[in-house]
Amino acid sequence: MMRIICVGNRFCRADSLGPLVYDYLAMEALPQGVELVDGGLAGLNLLSLFEGCRRIVVVDRVDGFGRPGEVLKLGWDDYAQGSYVEYGHSSALHYLLLCLPSLGIVPATEVLLVGAEDSGQPSVIAKAAEIVLEAVNE
Amino acid sequence: MSKTIQMGFNRVEGDLEVKATIDNGVVTDAWMIGTMYRGIERMMTGRGSLDGLVITPRVCGICSTSHLLAAARALENLSGAAVAHNGRLIRHLVLAVEKLQSDVRHVFLMFAVDLANEKYSDQPLYAEAVKRFQPFSGTSVIEVIQASRKLPEIIAILGGQWPHSSFVVPGGITSEPSESDLRQCLMLLKEFYRWYENRVLGCSVERWQQVSTPAQLDSWLEESDSHRNGDLGFLIRCCREYGLTTMGQGHGSFLAVPEHGSLGIKSAGAVSGGFISNEQNTGFAEEQVSEQLRYCHYNESVKDGHPLENGAPPRFIDDSEKYSWAKAPRYNGQPAETGPLAELMVNGDPLFQALVEEQGSSVLVRELARITRPARLLPLMEQWCGDVDMKAPFYQSAGEIVEGEGGGLVQAPRGFLGHWLQLSGGRIEHYQIISPTTWNGSPRDDQSVRGPIEEALIGTPVADPDNPVEIGHVVRSFDLCMVCSVHSVSKNGHTLSRLRLGA
Repeated sequence: MMRIICVGNRFCRADSLGPLVYDYLAMEALPQGVELVDGGLAGLNLLSLFEGCRRIVVVDRVDGFGRPGEVLKLGWDDYAQGSYVEYGHSSALHYLLLCLPSLGIVPATEVLLVGAEDSGQPSVIAKAAEIVLEAVNE
Repeated sequence: MSKTIQMGFNRVEGDLEVKATIDNGVVTDAWMIGTMYRGIERMMTGRGSLDGLVITPRVCGICSTSHLLAAARALENLSGAAVAHNGRLIRHLVLAVEKLQSDVRHVFLMFAVDLANEKYSDQPLYAEAVKRFQPFSGTSVIEVIQASRKLPEIIAILGGQWPHSSFVVPGGITSEPSESDLRQCLMLLKEFYRWYENRVLGCSVERWQQVSTPAQLDSWLEESDSHRNGDLGFLIRCCREYGLTTMGQGHGSFLAVPEHGSLGIKSAGAVSGGFISNEQNTGFAEEQVSEQLRYCHYNESVKDGHPLENGAPPRFIDDSEKYSWAKAPRYNGQPAETGPLAELMVNGDPLFQALVEEQGSSVLVRELARITRPARLLPLMEQWCGDVDMKAPFYQSAGEIVEGEGGGLVQAPRGFLGHWLQLSGGRIEHYQIISPTTWNGSPRDDQSVRGPIEEALIGTPVADPDNPVEIGHVVRSFDLCMVCSVHSVSKNGHTLSRLRLGA
């Protein structure tokens, strides 16, 4: 079982990458055993979706990991290394990702983060979707 | 020596800055600054009469059900619509679910983190506080994340989605939960109930409910290792050791709206509603609520007044007197603290009345009121699940709602929440929301009286202005959610970890 969790706010352009990739992937044929989820802004409440999978691909806007518009595929170590975030009602996805080892999810489940510092350019959305599909087809 | 510090505040929702003047290591003045404009009321104007049921739950992702309920109640108040009994039961249940999740997450993910601050590294309980409360891996932190993760499923089962559901409507709810749905909800509730008793209380809810005086609280704490070492017991011991028992006393005025009592249930979890000032409970009358604007960034030509009259458009005024986008709500012209402690005070709870009498409305007493609220709600919630009559309706028609004005009040997780609206020809002419943090995080009013948190900060000792953790204790003890108070949407724009020092 693998799951793609797209995170963000489609009504806030700067944070719309995840929902737009969700829309794109919803039109694609996904491999058997792959579930696509619109995670919205559920943050910490996404935890249940991280259970029972061998691989999770989270799609969200990321800042500071690469050049603007560059689509990145990050492993847990890549985005968690030296990373810190205070818990807040809406910072909870990042917080949740950093809690995953203590919750017993990482490393048993491979958790990848696909994202870009981008507000939803079609070429970036298509590239992100391509990388997500590669990840679930591996 | 006098020094003014201005700090951006993390671990609160939304954008907040606290400015404090410190004289000889003690806060002598304070200002709560809401730094962004909310504007959701402006979005509502001109929309259809029922649109508040869809839009206002988006004000907040933590207490969206509270906003939905307030929006529905405002329409019911306007139209005189009656609510189906089953609908009332489910509404109470989902509102209480939000309180459970919010309470435990606030205490252990937001408040208790400061108990692991290096300032306390020489205290005997510090090492244990770090073990339990450090971010990402603290034992209590991880427990709370796991235990609270399934609670929203109850709302999703009953209302189709969470957050931002719209299943509460004038007259009841739109869904018709089956017996199987209710059994599933009860199972999820029992799972949380067990965890709460085992890990937080360290005893049964029934045993905790026997604690009704400060002396009994001390006896309970000493009664067994499970009491002392449960998260509640440890929190009490830690706060006492760190000196948080008297820190953070406010005006001593408390406000709560009636909640969970409309079903004729007499229980500690039902809030009677009332306003306490000078130790007198004068009851609750909605018309006593007003908003004052002298220190807020709103159009000066707009008069203060009741939320049905006050639709002040925003206007940034470069005036040294004005400093916040949050308005100053007042009850009978007075500031009021709202939240779990206020609920207990207006209910006349003997333990908390005695604690406030002895220690004032301190940081510890506020957190104690919040972390024990599940013990008051859980038995009620089980009862509500069992009281649903599967043969009776969950909704009764409220008819068409096109004209008039009304207000809907909810005792939300953080306290008093009110929605007011005026309709004309099926369109919203005016919409106004006052949320709990607007009460607690209010700026000064027209008489220059400080808001509740501003007042609570006065006298707070600050050992190191570069690490003003004591200010954090006081401010966080009110469980702020600024997103409801001042602005609409910001996921990435938080003023995290900023600290500016000035002369």
